[in-house]
This record gives sequence, structure tokens and C-alpha cells, in this order.
Amino acid sequence: MTVMSGFFRALTVSRRHAMVGLVCRRFLHTTPRSLAYAKQLFLGSIVKEEVFPYPEVTNEELNEINQFVGPVEKFFNEDVDSKKIDHDANIPPETLEGLKNLGLFGMQIPEEYGGLGLSNTMYARLGEIISLDGSIAVTLAAHQAIGLKGILIAGTEEQKAKYLPKLASGEHVAAFCLTEPGSGSDAASIQTRATATGDGKYFLLNGSKVWISNGGLADIFTVFARTEVVDEDGKTKDKITAFIVEKAFGGVTSGKPEDKLGIRGSNTTEVHFENTKVPVENIIGELGGGFKVAMNILNSGRFSMGSASAGMIKKLIELTAEHACTRKQFNKRLSEFELIQDKFAFMAQKAYVMESMAYLTAGMMDRPGLPDCSVEAAMVKVFSSEGAWLCVSEALQILGGLGYMKDYPYERYLRDCRILLIFEGTNEILRMYIALTGMQHAGKILTGKIKELKKGNVGVVAEMFFKKLRDSVGRKVDFGLTGEEGVVHPSLEASAKKLEENTYYFGCTVEGLLYRFGKTIVDEQLALKRVADILINLYAMTATISRASRSMRIGLRNHDHEVLLTNVFCSEAYFKNNYLMAELAKHAPENMDDSIRKIAKSVLEKRAYICSHPLERSF
Amino acid sequence: MRCTRVLLLAKEACGGPLTLGQALGLPGTVSCAQTPNMCLSRGFRTSMRKSSSNPAPTKREEKKEEAQPSQKSLVTDDFFNRFDQDCRNKATFSQVVDVFCKKDVRRRGHVEFIYAALQKMPEFGVERDLRVYNALLDVFPKEVFVPQNSFQRMFNHYPRQQECGVQVLEQMENYGILPDAETRFLLLQIFGRKSHPFLKYRRMMYWFPKFQNLNPYPMLEPLPQDPVDIAKLSLQRISADLDARITVYQMPSVEEETGITYPHIVGIQSPEQQSLLQKHSQDRPVYIEGPFPLWLKKTCVYYYVLRAELSPPGEKEEEEEIDPERNFYYPMRMDMDLERDLGDDDSFDVDEVEEGLIFAMCMVGSGDQATLAKWISGLQETNPILGHIPVVFRLESSPHEIQAVPEVEETDEEEAIQSQKMTQ
Repeated sequence: MTVMSGFFRALTVSRRHAMVGLVCRRFLHTTPRSLAYAKQLFLGSIVKEEVFPYPEVTNEELNEINQFVGPVEKFFNEDVDSKKIDHDANIPPETLEGLKNLGLFGMQIPEEYGGLGLSNTMYARLGEIISLDGSIAVTLAAHQAIGLKGILIAGTEEQKAKYLPKLASGEHVAAFCLTEPGSGSDAASIQTRATATGDGKYFLLNGSKVWISNGGLADIFTVFARTEVVDEDGKTKDKITAFIVEKAFGGVTSGKPEDKLGIRGSNTTEVHFENTKVPVENIIGELGGGFKVAMNILNSGRFSMGSASAGMIKKLIELTAEHACTRKQFNKRLSEFELIQDKFAFMAQKAYVMESMAYLTAGMMDRPGLPDCSVEAAMVKVFSSEGAWLCVSEALQILGGLGYMKDYPYERYLRDCRILLIFEGTNEILRMYIALTGMQHAGKILTGKIKELKKGNVGVVAEMFFKKLRDSVGRKVDFGLTGEEGVVHPSLEASAKKLEENTYYFGCTVEGLLYRFGKTIVDEQLALKRVADILINLYAMTATISRASRSMRIGLRNHDHEVLLTNVFCSEAYFKNNYLMAELAKHAPENMDDSIRKIAKSVLEKRAYICSHPLERSF
Repeated sequence: MRCTRVLLLAKEACGGPLTLGQALGLPGTVSCAQTPNMCLSRGFRTSMRKSSSNPAPTKREEKKEEAQPSQKSLVTDDFFNRFDQDCRNKATFSQVVDVFCKKDVRRRGHVEFIYAALQKMPEFGVERDLRVYNALLDVFPKEVFVPQNSFQRMFNHYPRQQECGVQVLEQMENYGILPDAETRFLLLQIFGRKSHPFLKYRRMMYWFPKFQNLNPYPMLEPLPQDPVDIAKLSLQRISADLDARITVYQMPSVEEETGITYPHIVGIQSPEQQSLLQKHSQDRPVYIEGPFPLWLKKTCVYYYVLRAELSPPGEKEEEEEIDPERNFYYPMRMDMDLERDLGDDDSFDVDEVEEGLIFAMCMVGSGDQATLAKWISGLQETNPILGHIPVVFRLESSPHEIQAVPEVEETDEEEAIQSQKMTQ
């Protein structure tokens, strides 16, 4: 075991030795990693090497992070007035200056370009603190998680050298311009157009973008626009291209800041481009390759929301616990009431799961090669944004009327965290992404087998039959997580068994779904939602089990508490999963899907709630 | 003991020996005295008048009855013919009922009177007035016909009166009038709980509310009078699309100097139709067809459509393949070679007859080409492509735009039959 963890410790990124480290890591991993944990779950198997042991950072890295954490925490506690930011709907310049001085505008920009060059794990750690103010967190995320990410992951050396230093120092602010009045996630309805000039050196950019975070502050925009591209067979087609647009190019105007429910201090505006002259060198990636760039940027930015939400909830737990332990009713402290205790347990559990998922994903992303963790990142985003919303709501419940008052910060947390469910891909859309990506992966592998089954190939059918028979007699699912060669601490054996069982049956469910729906599964959104929910639960179970095992093994403080949280969460998730899988095994009329569709249909037909009023009479 | 007294009275009036029914306490003889030509042994459900089995009395039958004056009681003429055709309304009808009630404290001949009144109601225009029906029921003497013991309840107590009561309810039913609490109260007072009229009432109260809101496309009540409003309403009804936009291209007006009348032109088009028209090939003409009738209750209106012929099979557009680079967030298409399993294929085998697309609809004050051409030029503002597509008129002879209610009795009959079917 120690060998294993040592091995991984050697793998994790150290930013000081980034270059050297890269070289030696390449030796260890000669083939690009194609396996991803979440996708394999769809096949009903657990790739334990991917998630066990829980990723660690080296001592040097830990010290380094702590060096950052201290000042940033101090800055947020002392110099950031969240109430004022929220009220004025504006982040004061001196606060922004402070953030720039701390280097927070270039957290993930490599050191050679003047950034901090943080690994994903370290970025997630700082995110925990930054999230204490929603407006600042969104401003920074819009700047570096999406705004300049395009240059970072697909830009040329020249582009990087030209733009990154100023972006890293915060001298320039970046913004990501994708959304348009008629286009949210539909690339086909993007109207902004870039037309090549006669000499072929420039593009003229025309169009409008809406809801652009940092739209009013930004100097550098990543803009997606339609361009004419000649494809292989000589036809001209409209394709999306990504551009780096400087405000200095001219013709860039931004509207007035939008008034929002939460994250009010962040600057959200419309941005208009009118004959903006963009040089050809400023294309990110290749001409017509903007779609991939956009997808990669969006997929890479999400994982940090997990740690951010966890950071916020941890802070909330502190605040509300203070209240619950001091306020007395009926001569009892609030904390003595079980219904209040329940809420604290709930918040602690959610925070623990979020944290585990976020750092597991960050750790996976920090591994050498180019691991594709987009499904995992999407799961972190969905789970943590929903968890955060629930927890803030519960926190307000603990506080009672107090939480509702503008004099206290709690209602701001509630407003701020509502956006988490919406931006960077709404949770609905991400669930589709999670489920469909996995289905696609499973479909590729299982197509042959299912076809044989449909044809009535005796061998395959008999194999299926015996498998079913064995399952019904009572099969012990064992993926080797526990036992002598196991990677899970014995105190978590029950949870690990639950995970194994769920995973095995999830694999069967996926196979059944593919058998039933084939490629029309894309239209079965109600089924896909359940698939996504199961997968999120499975991943969350994995993350907590892995983390708690590590804590037990190395004897972290309060590791028994972690085991408790893990076991509680895993049993809950286990039952939820079983229920969801039972529903998936049924056909539409039995699992209420048909009725749900019918209800929605009649409501939407009339575009109103159509029941008669209860006071209505017919005679 | 009122019952026995009535029985004695009846005996006196008839002057003959009691029939079996009378002996059993069924003094149907009171009415017998009033209408001596009526047969006592008639079954309950049938009545002396043929029209009673018909839902709503019609003019034709009235004429028939006029030809047989022997069947007509003098009561009717006395009371209802006092008023001319032009002053027949609710007030005069109520007056008649009042006069009848005050004339004789015993309400002699009330069954006759009620039958006559039922028949005359459409003439007075009160056939859909619940209050009038209640007033009519109020004509019955109270508590006389309520069975007092189980024998009375078992047999047909005052059958003629009960039948008359049922007939009142029947006519209400045929006109779609829902009884109210007062009706119930009156029936209980007149006939009691265990009686045929009350049973009829309960059946009505069971079925009526159930059918009342069955129509998913309820009509406005009453219909608007303005032809433009009617046109708007009907077009919205046909298009059944909440996105469709109504445009009034021309309001009805008369130019005073020349005396030229401008008929109204009201059109409707949905954004979807607009985009389909946009895609329409410029080589193929579009047609204005009509007029097609649309019935709104008893009003008939006519509409015109702008449509295309069914495109020849070769030219049909292939279904657009989803661009793999369409959705920034998730794949829209699964790259696998598996079809949907039969077990989950819930689609029905529907034989669809394809028709040409309809691009817009309109209603006009007069269905001549000039007016319709104005509609097209109005449409052209929002659909510039119409300037490049040939428009062909395919009109049938144009009818009167909004026809007056054609012969009342026929539609009445129609409706009556429909509502009969419903109640069945």
C-alpha cells in the first residue's frame, strides 16, 4: 500500500519541477491513458487503479498551497466587504487590485508567463476560499476558468507570449463570449459573423453577445463567431471559429451591467462587435475549429465548483452552528433538537462528499498525460451545485427568520449559489452529457453482443440466461475492493460492497437500456436523467470511500468521523440507486414516465395550469 | 287526509265507479275531469301528445296541432294568444303565468297550461331561461301530489302531473338548462322525494355537470356580434396555435363620397407557417382556396386558406441530419448501430395522408378576388417571398359572409338530437 501511495505521490504535479516532472512522468506512463473511471462504470466495472488510493499532494506542494492559502484567507476576511459588493453591485477597484497583487488572476497560467502555475488540485484549494464571495469567485472564474482558457489550452506560443503575461497580472481582464440572444447551447443559432477581408489578413467581426461575465471590465475577449470554411469536397460551409479579440481593436462596446438576483458584484453585460478588425493570427486553434475549442474550455472549467461549494458550506456550518449552540428555546439550545442536528449532519455529509469528489477529480486531472475527466468534472458540478443549494436552504432553515433578513449574510449566500445550477451548462444539460457520453462509450463496446442477442445467437443467449440465473440465485459481486488484496479500509467494507453491487447492476441496467432503446436513447431524457443520477451517486460513493480509506490508513484527525459520513452517505445512495435502477428496468407506463409526459403535454398545450379552481362549481 | 278528500272530490267529478287505480289511492281522476278525452290506462312514459316525446316542439307540429283544434284546450289560446308576435318576451310570458296562477286558487287545468306554456316558450324567447322553468314548475299546486304512504309511493301517484313535471325537466334538458337549487326545492315540494320528476332531476344532476365541461374547445357565450371579432375568434379556433398572430388587414368601412364599402379582412399566420412559406419553392404556385364553412354554434362563417399543392415525392426535402457540431454540451446523436427494440416501440401504425401545406388563413367580409388580393398584399409585408410566388385563386361561389341563423327549428332539432345523444 505504501508503495502505491508513494507512487502516486511521485506522480502528482509539483509546479516547481513542472518541466522535470513532466519528463520523468512520461517514462512512467508511456501510453496515453484512455481509460476513465466514470465511463467504465457504464460497463459495470470498477477500475480501482484510477481512484484508489485517493490522490495526494507532496509535502512541498502542501506547504506551498498553505503559503498561498494564508494570505488569501486573510485578504478575504479583512479586505473584502461582501455586503457592500452585493449592495453596490460592483467590486471596488482596490479589492480588485488586492486580488491582482495576490496573483489570483493568473492562478493556472504557467510561471513562465507570470502566473502562479497552480495545478488543478491547488486551484481547487484556493477556490474554496475565493468562493466566500460569490461575486469575486465568478469574476475570477470568468477571467481564467473560461475567459483565457482558450489561449491556455489551444493558443499558439505567440498568442500565449503576447496575452498571458498581462492577463496573469490582472492588467488585462478576459471574458468568454459564446452566448447570444438566440443561442445558448445551440451552435447553429450563433449569429455573430466573422468575414475575411480582401487581403486575407483580417476578419471583420459583427454581432452581439449577451450575459457576458466581465463584459464591461474585459480587455481580451474569447469570441466565437461563424466563418465560412471550405471543406474537403469544395463546399463552403459555415463553421464556428474562436478568436482572441482585444478591446483595442475597435468596434467593441458593452452594454450596461445587468441587474441580477445573485452574484450582483460580478459584471455581466451585453457585448457588441461592429466591424471589429481581428487579425488572422488571433484565431484560437484552427479556422472552423471553434466548436472543439468551446467544448474543451467548457468541459475543463467545471471541476472547481465542487471545492468552491464545499468551502462555502463549511463556512455556513460554522456560522449556523454558532447560532444553533447559543440560541435557546424552551430552555434548550437549538442544537439539542434532533431536527436541527439532522440538518447539520446533512450539511456535513454534503460538504464531505463534494470535497471528496472535487479533489479526487482534480487529482485525476493532475495526472500525467491528458486524462479526459470531463464526465467526472460534470458530475462534480451537478452534485455540488445542487448540494450547495440544498445546504444553504437548510442553513436558512436553522436560522429561522434571521436567515431571511438582509442584515445578515445568509440570504446573500442563497441568492449567490442559485447561479451554480445554471451557468457553465445547466444541470439538466450536464446530466444529458454525463449519461450520453457514458452510453456512447458502452454502446461502442456492447453493440456486437447486443446484436448477437437480438439475432438469437444461442451462445450469447445462454450466457445471458445463466448470468441472470446466477444473479437471481444470489450473486456475490466482488471487484476486489475489499478482502485481502483490497484497497478499501475494512471499516468501510459494507460501503464498498454496496458500491460494488450497485456498479454491477448499473452495468446490467445500461446493457438493458441499450438493448431496449439503441441509438434512440438520446430521446429518452427521463431515463437518461436517472442514469446520470445513478452515475453521480456511484462516483460520489467512490470518492468518499477512497478518501475515507486513505484518512483511516494514514490516521488523519477525526478519521472516524469521515468513516461515519461515508457509511451514511453510501447507504443512502445505495437505496437511491436501487430505486432508480428498478425504475429504469420498467417500461414507460409502469414507472410513471408516460403519465409525466402526458401531464406536461396537456399543460404545455394550453401553456397554463389547467385544473379548475377548487372553489369552482359546475352547478 | 288531504288525499282522501281529493279522492272524494274526484269521485264526485267523475260520477262513475272507481277504477282499480283509484281504489288503490291513485286519484288520477282530477285531471280526468279536466281532459275527458284522455285515456286513463296510458303508461307513464307516454303522453297524450305526440310532441311530448319529441324534445323540442317545432313549428311544424304546432301547425299540425292547429289543424286538430279538438286536441287544443281553450286555456292556451286564452292565455298566450293574447299577445302579438312582436310583444312576446319574457315579461309577457311571466305575466301570463302570473295571470294563470292568480285566476284560480286551485290552479285548475295547470297540467294543460304547463304543456301549452312549454310549447310556447321558444316563441317568447324564454326557452333557455331557468327562472321561467322554475316559475312554470311553481304553477303546480304544492304538496298535493306528494305520496303519503308506501303504497302511493309504490304505484304511480298522480301520473299525469308527474309526467308533466318530467316533461318540463325534459325540455330543460333538451335546451341544456341545468336545474338549480330552486328547481330541486320546488320538485320536492310538489312531488316529493320518491317521484319520477325528482328522479329525472337527479339523473340530470348526475350527467349534466359531467358533460358540461367535456368540450376541450369551449365556445364563448354569447358569441360576439362584430364580424371582425367573430372572425378573430374563429381563426384562432381553427389554427389552434397559440403562437399564431392575428392581423386585421382592413376594418369594415364605407367611404362616404363614393359609397364604396370596404369589407373586413382578418388573417392569421403562425411563425412556423411563415418559415414554411419562406422555404416554398418559387416555381410552384400557391393557391387561395375557399370558402370553407365553419359553424360556431348556430352561426356559419366562411374562411379561406392560402395553401400549396403537395410537393412531388422527388422534391421532398430529406430530413436534416443533425450536425455533430451542433450542441456545445452533449452529443445529439449516438454513434452506434442499434435500433430501438420492438418492446419499446410504442408508436402506432398510422396511415398518414399527406396534404399540401397551409400557409395562412383569413376571413373576409366579401369573398371576391379583389378583397382576397388585398389580403395577399397584406401578407406580403411579413412574407416578402409572396411577391415572387404565383398566387392562384381557386374560389367556389361565394356565400353570404355571416349567415343569419337559418330556420330556427331545424337547428333546434339538430341540437336537440345531439343533446339527446349526449344524455343517452
